[in-house]
Amino acid sequence: MPFPILINNLKKKFGDEEIYRDLTLTLENGAITALVGPNGCGKSTLLKILAGLVQPDSGECRLELREELKFSYIFQNYQETLLPWKTAADNIALPLHLQKYSRAAVNQKIARLAKWLPPSLALHRYPYQLSGGQQQLIAFWRALITDPKLLFIDESFSALDHEQALRLRLALQEYHCEQKATVVIVSHNVDEAVQLAKTIIVLSNRPTVVSQIIDNSLPYPRTPATLVTDEFFALRRQVLNALHKVMSI
Amino acid sequence: MKKIIHFVSGPAVLFFVWYSVSALHLVEPFFLPGPLVTIKKFFQLLISGNILPDLFATLFRLGLSFLIAVLVGVPLGLMLGFSKKLYRHVEFLIDFFRSLPASALFPLFLILFGAADWSKIAVVAFASTLIVIFHTAYGVLHSSKTRTLATRLMGVNHWQLFCHVTWWETLPHTLVGLRHAVSLSLAVIIVTEMFVGTAVGLGRRIIDFQITYEMPNLYATILLAGLVGYLSNLVFIFLEARAVHWNGRV
Repeated sequence: MPFPILINNLKKKFGDEEIYRDLTLTLENGAITALVGPNGCGKSTLLKILAGLVQPDSGECRLELREELKFSYIFQNYQETLLPWKTAADNIALPLHLQKYSRAAVNQKIARLAKWLPPSLALHRYPYQLSGGQQQLIAFWRALITDPKLLFIDESFSALDHEQALRLRLALQEYHCEQKATVVIVSHNVDEAVQLAKTIIVLSNRPTVVSQIIDNSLPYPRTPATLVTDEFFALRRQVLNALHKVMSI
Repeated sequence: MKKIIHFVSGPAVLFFVWYSVSALHLVEPFFLPGPLVTIKKFFQLLISGNILPDLFATLFRLGLSFLIAVLVGVPLGLMLGFSKKLYRHVEFLIDFFRSLPASALFPLFLILFGAADWSKIAVVAFASTLIVIFHTAYGVLHSSKTRTLATRLMGVNHWQLFCHVTWWETLPHTLVGLRHAVSLSLAVIIVTEMFVGTAVGLGRRIIDFQITYEMPNLYATILLAGLVGYLSNLVFIFLEARAVHWNGRV
């Protein structure tokens, strides 16, 4: 059943700085949508408004059924969201503990992740003992462990090396296809946006409006091999052109 | 090995200077007995059991007033930390009384609680409770907004948020407060024992030895008081390293 996320005439100012002036867009339910655009155009703020962490000045934000939806949010400053007094494993399991899952159920869920986790990742260690990339993995899997139907990801593959990033993008696609989850990603990485998203929304400079919407019908899963196909390059070029249009250089 | 050298080098220099000053008679030997004599006296006092009642009396007062400070200070600090509004109302009072030398309050407490042990314990508990309140509230107020927000988005209730996040955020600050409180408590206890009637206590013994000019005993007792302070501090440093292992690494 389609329950799109609707954003209508959104207005928001931070002090004198106008972020959005009548921003209107629709995010498709059950699809991966990527938001790309210049720095400071309010991509992250949009996720925060949708999550209810920031209040818009005016306009409408309809996130149907948010209460019933299982929802996860991976922050841009993911390192600050991990709890340093818990081990990596306990951090991943935290949302399940909070929902009173039994030990056995938690262990079962963590075991299911094992195939996606690099063997070098020591889950008994504390986050501060892990590298930035490993911490990002922890934040990612902590968000997915509850099988959310709605997932916001803010720049969350930025600290990973190429191999880890590719592995995680595959994992995310598999998850999305299995769960029919709605995923909204904010990204500066065009390859990542094109590999993951069904719809790529290019935002303008402030005050931000939608500059272009690019549909991407490449079939899932989009593997590393997809990244070197002509279709991929064509889409990539289209996104880059759209981005260059909103740039001031 | 390096650690041992670091640990020993400071005391060794002090010992050498003390020994030289004493051996060269730079200070009248009566007023400054040598380190060897003093250390001998120190062990004699301990082994003979002569000083033990005083040591235990001081430790008892220290322990009890510290316990009161923890039991009252931590919950109050948490409460104030949670309510910024309430904290703003009492911030001045806490800062004022925290800055006020506790010994200045002693005459007042003497009137309120009488000359027995309670007045001493009360004044020390009062002073250290304020320190614990301040540090605990500070910990809650300065806990990471991002961690709180991210955990809140997982759909936690207030109690779960407290158990999984806020308590741990506060713990490093609370432990610093407890360490300061125990140091201050010892200082105030020794002072009150010196100047207010008590039969036993390290402070009392220090003043007695001074009046009777038993200098080696005086130095040995000072050494013992210093050792109590140092060891109690050490317990907290150990606790901090264990209980808040992440502190300073995130």
